[in-house]
Amino acid sequence: MGLFTRTTETAPCEVEVSHRFDSLHAHVKFLNGAIIHPGDEVLVHGAPVMAPYGEVVREERTATITRASGIERAWTRMTGDFEFMELCEFSFSEEVSV
Amino acid sequence: MKDLQHSADASTVEEAMAAQNYEQAIVDSEGATALAMQNTLLTPRFYTTDFDEMDAIDVSPVREDWDVLIGQMQADPNKGHFKKNEDWDHIDWEGMEPKLKAEFIDFLVSSCTAEFSGCVLYKEMKRRGNNEDIVTLFQLMARDEARHAGFINDALREAGIAVNLGFLTQKKKYTYFRPKFIYYATYLSEKIGYARYITIYRHLEANPEHRFHPIFKWFKEWCNDEFSHGEAFALLMKTDPKLTSGGNVWWIKFFLTAVYSTMYVRDHQRPAFHAALGVDPDWYAHEVFTKTSEISKQVFPITLDIDHPRWQRGLERLQKANADLAEAKQSGNIFKRIGASARAASAFISLYTIPAKQHDVPVSTRLEPAY
Repeated sequence: MGLFTRTTETAPCEVEVSHRFDSLHAHVKFLNGAIIHPGDEVLVHGAPVMAPYGEVVREERTATITRASGIERAWTRMTGDFEFMELCEFSFSEEVSV
Repeated sequence: MKDLQHSADASTVEEAMAAQNYEQAIVDSEGATALAMQNTLLTPRFYTTDFDEMDAIDVSPVREDWDVLIGQMQADPNKGHFKKNEDWDHIDWEGMEPKLKAEFIDFLVSSCTAEFSGCVLYKEMKRRGNNEDIVTLFQLMARDEARHAGFINDALREAGIAVNLGFLTQKKKYTYFRPKFIYYATYLSEKIGYARYITIYRHLEANPEHRFHPIFKWFKEWCNDEFSHGEAFALLMKTDPKLTSGGNVWWIKFFLTAVYSTMYVRDHQRPAFHAALGVDPDWYAHEVFTKTSEISKQVFPITLDIDHPRWQRGLERLQKANADLAEAKQSGNIFKRIGASARAASAFISLYTIPAKQHDVPVSTRLEPAY
């Protein structure tokens, strides 16, 4: 990790998407133990993993991890905290009127 | 096992039979209507935190309460509850007033996203943590959030909205949350979620003619899950007195003010939704803040003074500034935008600087849902 430079690496991963009434979730697990740090970006390769309704799909894919530069990592550490509002049910959406 | 998208990719008969297009053709006639469905891409954030710090948590000081709570969650009293049954009334989506329909769908999508984001966050902690107590808790909470999200998804499907989980293959950035901020923010979001849902549930119990959708009938069990998640975070904060004293009290005040005022602003953006429920958003806000404050005394040494004359005035100013800001963004008027931002900031500061009410935190933390 450089102070200003980004590096990229690839990692095998397992994507699990569940589209069932009893669980709607989607997760990525890195199979080589890669660890994600603040500000890193992850791109899972290939077509979107789509689970039809009622199904759980698990697929092995490859992901590219773009490591944040030192500056970006520090910035994300400082400011990321303020994105917490998304956890509230009333937080989201761009529509504003009245 | 690897699930196949299509039988065409199968190498054996068994695989082909198990492929999704087969199953879909047989059991899921919705395949045909799926194309006509409107696609809503969920875009949750992805978080990372200081996992070493979280692993260092020692729940020994609250062990007794902790084990009881985890035991309750493991017993899973709400298993099987979050699915449609005979109480699920038919909804005439076509006949629903368009403004109400739009606001209600927005409500469902934002609820689904919040549950989903919680699920992603909790699951990440479960995976990265090594502390057995913490890992168990986050696994249980991820289960509940995924369950709620699945239930909302069912309701959305009826309205012709297909939730798209394809976001994983888009580039996504991991943001950072300090552990203590996770406690403050998730504790509050769970407790205020409880207060919001139970207030609507009790209101509709008394005024069933306003229940325009069956999902509200499920709110009680739903918010009881939220309540127990909040309990777990309250116990976590109790393990370290520093988290709720000294300079951190300013952070607590900040989170309380931010969460309350965001809720106020957002709810006022859904006038048709609240009118259909027969709920005045100002009454509702006050009711929810009162309940949340009462509950949060279990662990926070302060509550906001929501009866202070500056409180309601500040909220209204914030709401107005926010609406103007959105309008300015749309019209691209940079001066209006700066003005509205400044007014929003000043309204928030005015709210934040109202002196808080101090009180003693009880020795025993645990509460049961009582509203």
